[in-house]
Amino acid sequence: MGILSTLLLTPLLGILVLAILPGGNASQIRFTANLFATVVFLFSCWLVVDYNQLYGDIQYYEQFIYNPNFNSAFALGVDGLSLPMVVLAAMLTLIALLASFSVVHNIKSYYISVLLLELGMLGVFLSQDWSLFYIFWELTLIPLFILIARWGGTRRHVASINFVLYTMGGSIFMLVSLLAISQYMPEHGGTLMADMTEAARSMPRDEQLWVLLGFLIGFGVKMPVFPLHGWLPLAHVEAPSPVSILLSGILLKMGAYGLIRVVVMLPEATLIVQPYLLFIALFGMIYGGVLAWRQSDLKAMVAYSSVSHMGIVLLGIATLNFTGLTGAVLQMTAHGLVAGALFLLVGLLYERTHTRNILDYSSLVQVMPRFAFFMTITLFAAMGMPGTVGFVAELHAVIGGYQQWGNLMLFLGLSILISAAYAMRTVGMLFTGPVKPQMREIEDLKLYELVAAIILVAAIVLMGLWPSPLIDLSVATITQMNDFISQSIQ
Amino acid sequence: MDYLVIFIPLLPFVAAAIIGFGHLFNQISGQKGEARSADIAKNAIYLSCVAAIALLVADLMGHNEGSLTAVRWLDSGNLEIELNFITSGFSVIVAVLFAIILVIVTRFSTNYIHKESGFHRFFFVLSLFSSSILFLVLSGNAAATFFGWEIAGLCSYLLISFAYDRPVAGINATRVFVTNRIGDTGFILGIALAFYFGDTINWTDLNSAAESMATPTVTIMSLCFVVAAMAKSAQLPFTPWLARAMEGPTPSSAVFYGAVMIHAGIFLIILLRPVIEQAPLTMGLLVVVGLLTAVYSFVVGLTQTDVKSSLCFAISGQLGLMFLECGLGLWELAMWHLCAHAIVRSYQVLTAPSLLHYVHGNPMKPVPETVAKKRWLYIASLQRFWLDPITDRTLVRPVNGLGYDLDRFDKNIIDRAMGDPASSFSAITTLTQLENKTHKNRLEAVHVEFVKGKGIVGKLLEWIANIMNWFEERLVLRGIGMDLVTMGRKLGQAANTFELLILKPRYLVLFVFIVLMLAASI
Repeated sequence: MGILSTLLLTPLLGILVLAILPGGNASQIRFTANLFATVVFLFSCWLVVDYNQLYGDIQYYEQFIYNPNFNSAFALGVDGLSLPMVVLAAMLTLIALLASFSVVHNIKSYYISVLLLELGMLGVFLSQDWSLFYIFWELTLIPLFILIARWGGTRRHVASINFVLYTMGGSIFMLVSLLAISQYMPEHGGTLMADMTEAARSMPRDEQLWVLLGFLIGFGVKMPVFPLHGWLPLAHVEAPSPVSILLSGILLKMGAYGLIRVVVMLPEATLIVQPYLLFIALFGMIYGGVLAWRQSDLKAMVAYSSVSHMGIVLLGIATLNFTGLTGAVLQMTAHGLVAGALFLLVGLLYERTHTRNILDYSSLVQVMPRFAFFMTITLFAAMGMPGTVGFVAELHAVIGGYQQWGNLMLFLGLSILISAAYAMRTVGMLFTGPVKPQMREIEDLKLYELVAAIILVAAIVLMGLWPSPLIDLSVATITQMNDFISQSIQ
Repeated sequence: MDYLVIFIPLLPFVAAAIIGFGHLFNQISGQKGEARSADIAKNAIYLSCVAAIALLVADLMGHNEGSLTAVRWLDSGNLEIELNFITSGFSVIVAVLFAIILVIVTRFSTNYIHKESGFHRFFFVLSLFSSSILFLVLSGNAAATFFGWEIAGLCSYLLISFAYDRPVAGINATRVFVTNRIGDTGFILGIALAFYFGDTINWTDLNSAAESMATPTVTIMSLCFVVAAMAKSAQLPFTPWLARAMEGPTPSSAVFYGAVMIHAGIFLIILLRPVIEQAPLTMGLLVVVGLLTAVYSFVVGLTQTDVKSSLCFAISGQLGLMFLECGLGLWELAMWHLCAHAIVRSYQVLTAPSLLHYVHGNPMKPVPETVAKKRWLYIASLQRFWLDPITDRTLVRPVNGLGYDLDRFDKNIIDRAMGDPASSFSAITTLTQLENKTHKNRLEAVHVEFVKGKGIVGKLLEWIANIMNWFEERLVLRGIGMDLVTMGRKLGQAANTFELLILKPRYLVLFVFIVLMLAASI
């Protein structure tokens, strides 16, 4: 059994152990779940150390054919694109579990759901077979539906149903596209990603376009791209804070990750829709930013800022050049860290004050200096301050975009300006201003919350100051993908 | 002397008209007018009784031709309906008998209804009924008989609900009327079939035409008339209406259910004797229904504890025997039975209120030992064999449900489609709702303050933000997201309702009917 299967089976083992444990003993359950999440995280760290950065192909490949009739395979592997996502998923799950101490009822099913969600997310990033990918993709819906509907806010039922309907609706288009490609596979050809890429190349141009549109809808819902983001504000606001961390940190990246794989598969079709992708990306960024600026609900603000930031990923993908792709991959990691940290901190604040309205807050720096410190750094990272990981990613995307479209990148600058506006205003309204009596008795971050916050903020700052390890991790794979794309386009 | 027959139904009708219009125009009203309206009704029925006796005497002496055609009432293609009468035979005998009973009852009522609020109404209805029942008995064609048949039914309805301020009376009257309408359906169908197959609706012509008709044709036609007779004469399964009809005042009970109207059914059977004799199946049905009704009435009658109820089951039992006799071909006996029963029963019902006084010291005979020991029979008898609940369950409730469904369809779909004014449900009705609304407005006001921009760029951003927010709220969140869920839920509910409805027996039955009708039309 390879390292990747072990990685994937660890959360499953955790679920089984949790299922056996008695439900009454809360600390035992919390400890077990955290233990397994830590083990997964350590595995993924070891994977990063062991990974050969100079070699861009799939590594640690393992395969087991589970359906001989169609040659569907349980194929796992990582490359420079999926490895950062695997680490991010493991890390954010651990942090979400650290932030879950406020969940007090039905904790057993809660922790099982979170571990199931981790299993699904890891599976999506690890699988090298489209059918397996699809299974894991859909698997994430079940725990998320339960998590939002049981432990969410007041409108949790609407939010969870809305979320599931949207994603399922998108998945159908993705499935249709996959089926369309499989028409061009040899009989018993299986559904391996590499084989499907070959098959997609032999499709006629117009069919490639339709298939790409299907994928765009499927992944675009998850990412989310501008008109398909209707589920996001509601789901992010109503989900419990730890789930918001995972939702925004990892789940959105699944869409971006899938889209990059598809773009590599169908570069010619992507070239046709390139201008539209650019428009959607730019408009979505400004749209999300303006709406984030308009929200007085902190969680809704972070949710809309996610729409805005994922636009950068789409922009990077749409450039179809090396720098832009690098920017997209970097932004995926950066946004995962920043959005995760933002939701973590906003969630912790909400637990203490039970209000998300930014107008209720004032002068928090006096009672919560540690919180203020981490929150400020994270908000700066969100607006792409140099010295944070967000800046590196945005810089790549801007350069890549400039190579492709020139002065149109002014709009990107505009969206960054808007994000600066709401980030700065949030800092001002939260931490400065007159002292309010109801904001006098708030406790600062506790130890384990501090640990979670430190991990994320440290990653944000360290990778911002010294980004080359992060870039080196992916660069070989991105080069390979870029070569492939530019060959096909010419 | 044939022309006398016209006066027999006409005189009570004129009396009814005078009382009705007099009461309407306040000429006959209050306690002062009581003598007047009673006199009018009495004199009219006296005269018509005399006319009937004269007609009978003339008939017995052989001065009558047997029929009289007054005027042509309707002429349309082949269909030709005359106002004609039968002036000889059994019809005249029955007419005389009924007229005498009506005279007695009218005289009796004068004192009985005295000082009651509906005095004039009662005599109006009684006169109208007298006219209609005599018309029924004497008329020479099916349409005219049906005319009298219906008016008699209507009068029955009016007198059962005589005390219409009591809800029970209204409910019972409606129930009786609707039950009788089932029989009326049979009657109309019978008339139509008679015209279709026999080309005539004159009783005499029809009876002579029956001999040349094929057995199935005659069977179906006669069955239709028999159903009408069964309903009117309270045979199974229509028997329960008789008990409900006892709601009316005693003289009306006597005249309607003791002596006169209840015999209209069996009279119709006897009138159609040649037709029914051609149809063995109908004869069989008469035997079965008559026997069952007789047994049923006997068993149920055993447990009745009030005079009127036990009388009413005795009546239906005797009528069952008459049906049985007709079915067995003992027509003569049935005729005698009819007349004798009418006389005896009218006396019994009229004296019912003082019956206890008469039977004092005359204890009832207990039922035989073997019957008394059967407990299930006792329960069944007490519950009258659950006929009413069964009817409720199989007919009344489904029809009610259908009406309810159609009403909902009307309200929810037709009214809306036609632009019915909006209901008041969406308006604010409670203080809490109002507070919620104002609270929301207050929050919005604070929010607007929050998103205010300064300077040109700030204002521009504010405007763009407002436009985008509108777009997001209206289209993305509400339009696609929420409405999708709401619509899905509504669709699901609609599908559920549809499923529930379609599974209900009434719709299965309706479906079967539609299929049958389609099959028949092809």
